Amino acid sequence: MIEPSQSSLFDERLVFVEDADTQAEVFHQVADKLVEMGAVKPDFLANLSEREQNYPTGIDMSVVNPAYPNVAIPHTEGEFVNVRKIVPIKLVKPIIFNNMIDPETEFPVSFLFMILNNDPEGQANVLAQIMDFLTTTSEADLLNLFATTDTHTIYQTLAPHFND
Amino acid sequence: MIKILAACGAGVNSSHQIKEAMETEMKKRGYSVQADAVMVKDITQDMLKNYDIFTPISKTDLSFDVDIPIVNAGPILYRMPAMAKPVFDQVEDVIKKENLK
Repeated sequence: MIEPSQSSLFDERLVFVEDADTQAEVFHQVADKLVEMGAVKPDFLANLSEREQNYPTGIDMSVVNPAYPNVAIPHTEGEFVNVRKIVPIKLVKPIIFNNMIDPETEFPVSFLFMILNNDPEGQANVLAQIMDFLTTTSEADLLNLFATTDTHTIYQTLAPHFND
Repeated sequence: MIKILAACGAGVNSSHQIKEAMETEMKKRGYSVQADAVMVKDITQDMLKNYDIFTPISKTDLSFDVDIPIVNAGPILYRMPAMAKPVFDQVEDVIKKENLK
């Protein structure tokens, strides 16, 4: 079980590499594991999916660096989660997401930073830390992160860059 | 005091970042600004009466007409000056044009 009191933003057990063809499939795969580990409540999946439909979370990384694949930051309201964590998910096959800041456009996404946030007023803004990581990390390090399918490497690359 | 309403889907991450960025940057530019962050679905016509500027994460369809100035604030979320500056400039233009204080 994932303890709510654990302060670190990452947990090595909450790093996934998923092979899925659709958004619905990958959300389902990950949500099942998160429920089993006690990180989210059973109605997390339904709310996450509905929110992504109405308010998409794809982030166009080409404006940061054309060499980067796009990412997404799926999340939902704090009442459906039990912890404050970032769940990194490498997508073996890119999946289509709509653009968070321009919902009518879509693009393939290769990496998810699923945000579980039960404390929106909390000290350091989780989304801000993700964006700072994506815009200030060296190109070589980021390309390595996006290429690997090893959960330990993903954890080791991300965890040191974030303040809890 | 200039009042800004930031909004996003979950009311958790993006809108809070927009709120904080607006307050910080507009203070730097010499304006007295207070921003709130809400979920898009919770916005009402009555609520908007309390604000001078609406800064949603993206073009947002509400079920009613918004009669305060709207500035789409999504690009701020990148936290890159080149992306954020045009948004802050638009907000400052509104403040000047409407003579907000």
